[in-house]
Amino acid sequence: MKMIKWGAAAMALGFVHLAAPAQAAGGKTLEAVKARGVLNCTGHDGSYLGFAEVDDKGNWKGMDIDLCKAVATAVFGDPAKLKVVPISWAQRWPSLQSGDIDIIIKASGGTLGRDTELGLQFSNSYYLGTTKVMAHKELNLKSLKDANGGTICIPAGTSQEQQVAAYAQKLGIKLEPVLIEKTEELEQAYFSGRCDLYAQWGPTLAIARIAKSKVEDHVILPDVLAVEPEVMIMRQGDDNWVDIANWTLSTLVFAEQEGITSKNVDEIKAKPTSPQVAKFLGVTPGMGKGLGLSDDWAYNVIKKVGNYGEIFDRDLGKDSPYKMDRELTNLWNNGGVLFPLVID
Amino acid sequence: MEMVVVAPPAPGRLENLKRRFFATPLQALLSLISLAIMAFIVWKLLDWAVFSAVFTTSGGPEACQAAAGACWSVIAARWRIILFGLYPFEEQWRSALACVAVVVMTALSCIPAFWTGRRIALVWGAGTTLYYLLMKGGVLGLLYVGEEAWGGLALTLFIFITTCLIGFPLAICLALLRRSELPWISRTTGIVIDGVRSLPLISILFTFAIVLPFALPQWLVGDKLYRVIFGSALFFSAYQAEIVRGGMQGVPAGQEEAAMALGMSYWQRIGRILLPQAMRNALPATINQFVISFKETSLVVIVGFFEILASGNAAYGTGEWRFAYVEVYAFIAFIYFVFVFSLSRYGAFLERRMAVGER
Repeated sequence: MKMIKWGAAAMALGFVHLAAPAQAAGGKTLEAVKARGVLNCTGHDGSYLGFAEVDDKGNWKGMDIDLCKAVATAVFGDPAKLKVVPISWAQRWPSLQSGDIDIIIKASGGTLGRDTELGLQFSNSYYLGTTKVMAHKELNLKSLKDANGGTICIPAGTSQEQQVAAYAQKLGIKLEPVLIEKTEELEQAYFSGRCDLYAQWGPTLAIARIAKSKVEDHVILPDVLAVEPEVMIMRQGDDNWVDIANWTLSTLVFAEQEGITSKNVDEIKAKPTSPQVAKFLGVTPGMGKGLGLSDDWAYNVIKKVGNYGEIFDRDLGKDSPYKMDRELTNLWNNGGVLFPLVID
Repeated sequence: MEMVVVAPPAPGRLENLKRRFFATPLQALLSLISLAIMAFIVWKLLDWAVFSAVFTTSGGPEACQAAAGACWSVIAARWRIILFGLYPFEEQWRSALACVAVVVMTALSCIPAFWTGRRIALVWGAGTTLYYLLMKGGVLGLLYVGEEAWGGLALTLFIFITTCLIGFPLAICLALLRRSELPWISRTTGIVIDGVRSLPLISILFTFAIVLPFALPQWLVGDKLYRVIFGSALFFSAYQAEIVRGGMQGVPAGQEEAAMALGMSYWQRIGRILLPQAMRNALPATINQFVISFKETSLVVIVGFFEILASGNAAYGTGEWRFAYVEVYAFIAFIYFVFVFSLSRYGAFLERRMAVGER
């Protein structure tokens, strides 16, 4: 499987260069999306827990899917005008470049290589993914520093491998790595006691903890080995489209900051609490024109998809089976790193 | 004096068993140990799969996870995802009917009574049209469902059937071209066949799905599904062409020469003398190729199709059913087994039937 991934990635890289000249001619993603009548956004070839999964009736749900819905609602005023295209990890970049999809929202981090070599463009970060370590409770570990000499399960061929090595070196401890590629096998190894510790991308780790066995038997250590900002990814060269992605995200966060939810948005629209909010909800004009959207687009997004907090609670947080904490992915005034852009 | 030759009595079943497995004490011991191990494994498996398993969804995922055995409730709750993928929920009866149509079509074309050119064309034409209309809709008041929403078993079957439908005639053409007397034709075909065969299927699928839209004019691009099917048919035909050619080389040269001497035309020679005998020679390898192609349909997951393995992944990939991946994969393995096993049994039947002329 790894070979396949690399092969596909290599081919993808090759053809991204081939495609580069076509971008200048395009550049009007919004018009293309409007003409098509539907936004093409990334799904998953299977499921990615909490971010893109399929319910009993075959409908997509999850954090990434809800952000796709938010963008579709911003453009069309209707979250149903979204086509979720099932896409593998390797296929993300060529599919975006070939125009199969309009935007990648697929738990993908913003990296230098993707930005400069693949010719892509990022929105602000919508989720701060951390690499963390889980340990068996009976080991009584306070932090990773106490785990000297322990064995640690790490997903093979990922950046977590280097992150663990670097972090252990910084702490001056020795860890015995056990590298396994497939997540199911990896978790099996940890839960069966093959490893003392398990290093993984934060959400996946938290989900593993609650899903596999008794929650109390395992603790997630406070150490943060690395941080990856997950971003929405678009083709280079269409500034308007990047603006729309950023403002959609900002809208979700702004609404949470102002306490505007899908439930009370109508009341607040009837009686705006400030000129800013009035403009935000389209009571006074100016919110949409510069972006090429309608003035009430932000109202539609909040009304039909919800604010950032509602989305998080529904897909990852307290209303989901995963019960994850917001941690860093919280508002700036709640100890997190999320902040809205200013509506002037 | 009269000699009466009496054949020794045929050993009874028990006798046979005794002679094979319990001839010496050591052999008896080894047999017993192996038997015990096998019984243990079978017992463990049965215990997991049947006795300690949970079959209903009534207790919900939690009760199921707590059970010692398999949790088949995941199949009960999510079978529609596995079989139909992302096909719209209310319309899934269409997907089911389409699967039935394809299975019936395949079953019919396996019956010797349907082996005339016109009948087989009729059955396959009707079957694939019915499948296509049912799945896609847009006519007769059926809701339109685009190809990107097709999935699960229905998609796996469709990809397999169409790959064979396009690939098989293409393979025969390629095989005939390769044995052409004009060197530039036979050599070019040879290069094409060997070229395709030397590429991995994954890269062919990837090229057809993702790279071709860059290179082709817009009107020729078509839907991704059909590009992928064409790519996999091309791959199938390159291998199958060599199998058919091998079968042709097994037909003695005298056969074709005799046909020529009788004044038969090229198409008569090919259609009535060469191909029937070649296909008989090539049958075991052909069935093999079909089986391989059926299993290789799972590779389309790399270009983002929701075939049965991907939809299986989606079926257990939710918070509630996350622990039950073994059960889902066992279920999918069972489906694969049913199809592939019947395919190979049918192949064995064909071989027996075609061997009639050899006796």
